[in-house]
Amino acid sequence: MLRFLLVSFLCLSFGAFAQKKPTLSGYITDLRNGEALSYAKVFVQELKTGAVVNAYGFYSLTIPSGNYTIEFRADGFQIQVLTIALSENQTRNVELEMAVQETKDIRVTGKRSDNVTSTKLGQMELKMDQVKTLPAFMGEVDVVKTLQLLPGVSSVSEGGQGFYVRGGGPDQNLVLLDEGVVYNASHLFGFFSVFNADAINSVNLIKGGMPANFGGRLSSVLEVNMNEGNLKQIKVKGGIGAISSRLTIEGPLKKDKGSFIVSARRTYIDLIAKAAIPDSSPFAGSGYFFYDVNAKLNYKLSAKDRIYLSAYYGKDIFSFKDKNGGFKVEMPWGNGIGALRWNHLFTSKLFMNTTLTYSDYKFQFASTQDEFRVALTSGIRDYTTKVDFSYFPNPKHRIKFGAAYTYHDFTPQGLSAQNDTVTFNTGSIQHLYSHETGLYALDEFDLNDAWRFNVGLRYSTFSHVGPFDRYIKGDGISTFDSTIHYGRNDVIAFYQGLEPRFALRYLLPDNSSIKAGYAYNYQYVHLVTLSAVSLPTDIWFPTTDLAKPEKGFQTSIGYFKNFDKDRYEASVELYYKGMKNLIEFKEGALPGDNINDNTDNLLVYGEGWAYGAEFFLKKTQGAFTGWIGYTWAKTERRFPDINEGNVYPAKYDRRHDLTVVGTYKLNERWVFSACFIYATGNTLTLPSSWYVQDQNLLFQYGPRNSTRMAPYHRLDISATLYGKKFKTKTDPATGLDIQVKKAYQSNWSFSVYNVYNRMNPFFLYVDNNGDFMSGDFSLKIKQVSLFPIIPSVTWNFEF
Amino acid sequence: MEFRILKYLGFFLTATVLFVSCTKEVQIDLPGYKEQLVVDGRIETGMPAIVLLSKTSNVYSTTNFETYLNSFVDDAVVLLSDGTTTDTLTKICTDDLPPGLEDVAAGIFGVPAAALSSLHLCAYISLNMLGEVGKTYTLQIQHNGKTYTSSSRITEPVALDSLYWKPEGNFTDRGFTWAQLSDPGNTTDAYCWEVKYLQEATFSKTFNPYFNDKFFNGLTFEFGYENPMSFQDTTANNPYRGFFKLGDTVVVKLSKIGPKEYNYFEKKYNQMYSGGSPFAVPTNVPSNIAGGALGIWAAYSPWIDTLICQ
Repeated sequence: MLRFLLVSFLCLSFGAFAQKKPTLSGYITDLRNGEALSYAKVFVQELKTGAVVNAYGFYSLTIPSGNYTIEFRADGFQIQVLTIALSENQTRNVELEMAVQETKDIRVTGKRSDNVTSTKLGQMELKMDQVKTLPAFMGEVDVVKTLQLLPGVSSVSEGGQGFYVRGGGPDQNLVLLDEGVVYNASHLFGFFSVFNADAINSVNLIKGGMPANFGGRLSSVLEVNMNEGNLKQIKVKGGIGAISSRLTIEGPLKKDKGSFIVSARRTYIDLIAKAAIPDSSPFAGSGYFFYDVNAKLNYKLSAKDRIYLSAYYGKDIFSFKDKNGGFKVEMPWGNGIGALRWNHLFTSKLFMNTTLTYSDYKFQFASTQDEFRVALTSGIRDYTTKVDFSYFPNPKHRIKFGAAYTYHDFTPQGLSAQNDTVTFNTGSIQHLYSHETGLYALDEFDLNDAWRFNVGLRYSTFSHVGPFDRYIKGDGISTFDSTIHYGRNDVIAFYQGLEPRFALRYLLPDNSSIKAGYAYNYQYVHLVTLSAVSLPTDIWFPTTDLAKPEKGFQTSIGYFKNFDKDRYEASVELYYKGMKNLIEFKEGALPGDNINDNTDNLLVYGEGWAYGAEFFLKKTQGAFTGWIGYTWAKTERRFPDINEGNVYPAKYDRRHDLTVVGTYKLNERWVFSACFIYATGNTLTLPSSWYVQDQNLLFQYGPRNSTRMAPYHRLDISATLYGKKFKTKTDPATGLDIQVKKAYQSNWSFSVYNVYNRMNPFFLYVDNNGDFMSGDFSLKIKQVSLFPIIPSVTWNFEF
Repeated sequence: MEFRILKYLGFFLTATVLFVSCTKEVQIDLPGYKEQLVVDGRIETGMPAIVLLSKTSNVYSTTNFETYLNSFVDDAVVLLSDGTTTDTLTKICTDDLPPGLEDVAAGIFGVPAAALSSLHLCAYISLNMLGEVGKTYTLQIQHNGKTYTSSSRITEPVALDSLYWKPEGNFTDRGFTWAQLSDPGNTTDAYCWEVKYLQEATFSKTFNPYFNDKFFNGLTFEFGYENPMSFQDTTANNPYRGFFKLGDTVVVKLSKIGPKEYNYFEKKYNQMYSGGSPFAVPTNVPSNIAGGALGIWAAYSPWIDTLICQ
């Protein structure tokens, strides 16, 4: 593999040097704050060719010597045209100014014309200014909830943060915050995202055709990039909402050299609860809150070197006290992520990004009842280092290659329990250690004007290493429990795999294109869950000698077309996905069964498949913008040890999913938005019969996920009122009144969630009341709905 | 006695969800119903086997006392073998009870003794075979052309080191029963705790009467249990519910059971306490009956002691 990389790299390098063409390179940034424009493009008019910047705003264009008219553009910014005489390598850093006309409109995505021209298949990008105008649940602007409005992406449940992409599980999404892996992307049992909208610059979701530079998950990549911080001046922004407030400060460390940003958010549900529960109440001291802090520094060390340091820390704290029962629970959980990145420019054609990341997720639970104490902990700690190269030999090839290494330390579950006199034997806290590596190369190249290919290969390995205790369970009658101990660094299991990735685009003459893609992926970490609802207690578990890596492929094909001078974008995509070695707890496994045992002794393995069609129509310009997305999909599972080996629908199998999103900018001060969602109801497993044993009522459940809840539909609306952006001032020189932009800006955001108060199903259960003897015994199926109509208001400010 | 961390969590979340949410009755398709035989059988040292047979009912079936009565089966043939001899169990029905068995029958069926003679509820009893330690008992049921079988073994009992009563909290005359148990090492042991007042005919079970030695294999430790009989008093806000009072004389039965039987009871109680919660797993209770029936055939090895609460 390494040889392949080197050979490809040297061949292309040699080819490039042999032609002796000069290279134009540099960074494209936003004039207002100096932040990189990660979606900018460079276009050479004379050659009808161009380049796209990488994630750090860097571009490189190797073309024959000559005089050129070169356009630098980024969506929402004025095009800057430079005449450049290129005879030798040249660096041009360009700052783009916001487009004047754009202030009238709201842009839906950052890459307008990319819809047709790129090889990107199943990719969606969100711009934060657009996300912020959409209706927000309880006033909390939420990128993940906005993603759930896109075709092919569905939510786990009402208000839930977990998302399913094209029939894959929530653990099959690689969620990256500034390249650091986020294992649990939600607060408040899944109702809010960990991503503070004020700290986020861009959001990119890859639903299919994952490029080779990403790996480790089967379904999708969600890249969330934090703001870099204003390089020009100190800025403060914040908001006060119904359940939380936030504050962001950013500014230069040294003007045009380095900057910082710090953004913090905290909810005050606990303070409301405190006011509601008097001190005399036995429940005084119970409450819940979460907070998170995002911080980032960046500094240009030289023209060729720049470093970024990003950090995220967030925590949820739930506590419950019942003084009467002598009972107390403390349950904190949260993520910590740190990323140090170094950008280095070897030559004007070769860009390198080196990343060191640390990712930590921890869940704790401690309960005390009288003298009996129980403490439970689970978590993951990852140390990752990776290096990624972008190489631009000529305008026809864009090459990426790199390598990554992660050291995982998983604690699926550790428990301690004691009462006054005895410490119970709950075993030592189990750690599972592993090494994961990835090596990749990809080339996106244009065969001619019509054909573009993106061909890549990833090679991944995973080793499960000691120290480790393998528990072997006896039946308690003829065989008894035993343990195999593995020492430090003993290799218990080793896996490796080649992951080919391929995408093509064929441009049709009528501003449309056909795209197709294939991706094969390995996934070495798994989320196993016991409950029907996503909880912080869900366990992340690595591949071991027993738990094999998940494998999956996805193949997709799509037709993309733009209309009316790119004002409308449309696409139809079809996909088929196959997955092997999927993991579930075996039937009848109970919480706590993995104490004094290995979690993978309780797991069973199966396969799954998903297929569907996605239709998308988007209006990208004008006072009215928005989209309609419709998905028809089916996703099924087959596990030999579940549901008697019969095929069953996944719990998020949804036949129909429709979203309609619209935003209307009435004038400079008022923006109105609405979104409507219709989705087939989720599946669940309910009892089909009852019986009595020893005078106790028991239920026998029907086939797995055989019951389908009522359809889900909801309309949300919002209105944003912006304060006046300009004030009138008299020019002392001329004595005339002039309009000056105010330093202080604010807006009020009003949202109504679930306008027509639809009681959507959250879950169903069988309710039994009374008893046979008194003749009032009854069984009823009850539906629980979570959120009725919820109005909210948020005040945002910036200066 | 069980570690119920996640159950607690599920309880809190469910309570929270129900607090903020709204609930309504719905009619929805629940596929998968099929009528199955339900076995509720036990044998213990020195006692005959008692087997009750019934059928499952559809969740949407009428739920009245008639349905409950009609769910019992009285047309089966039940055989019990201890490895050397086989006994055909005798069907004894409440409308034709031998004298003196009223209280026992009332306890078994959960029906007032006075109502028994007007009902037709039948049990199958091994009048010619009593449970013995060390023997494996195989049950065979023939019903509607199908045969169902199961085996269970009476193992050596485990005695408590001590059994005592002590007042709880601020009370001076109310408290729980406490015991010290030395669990045998090297074996996987499971237990059932039952209790009755001296004068009662049948034992009662507490909320969570089954436990195994997963967390205390080979350890000596103390534990307490509440008074299950006191919960029959449904007076609201009775502060004494759950307690034994000073001067009560109670009989405690600690029975050893096998691992398969424990698996059934563990999951049964888990379903009873978490059924319906979205935070719990829909779990069928795993029967140890072969042939497609639900329920349990369990052999108990009891250790019995009398305690005067003082």
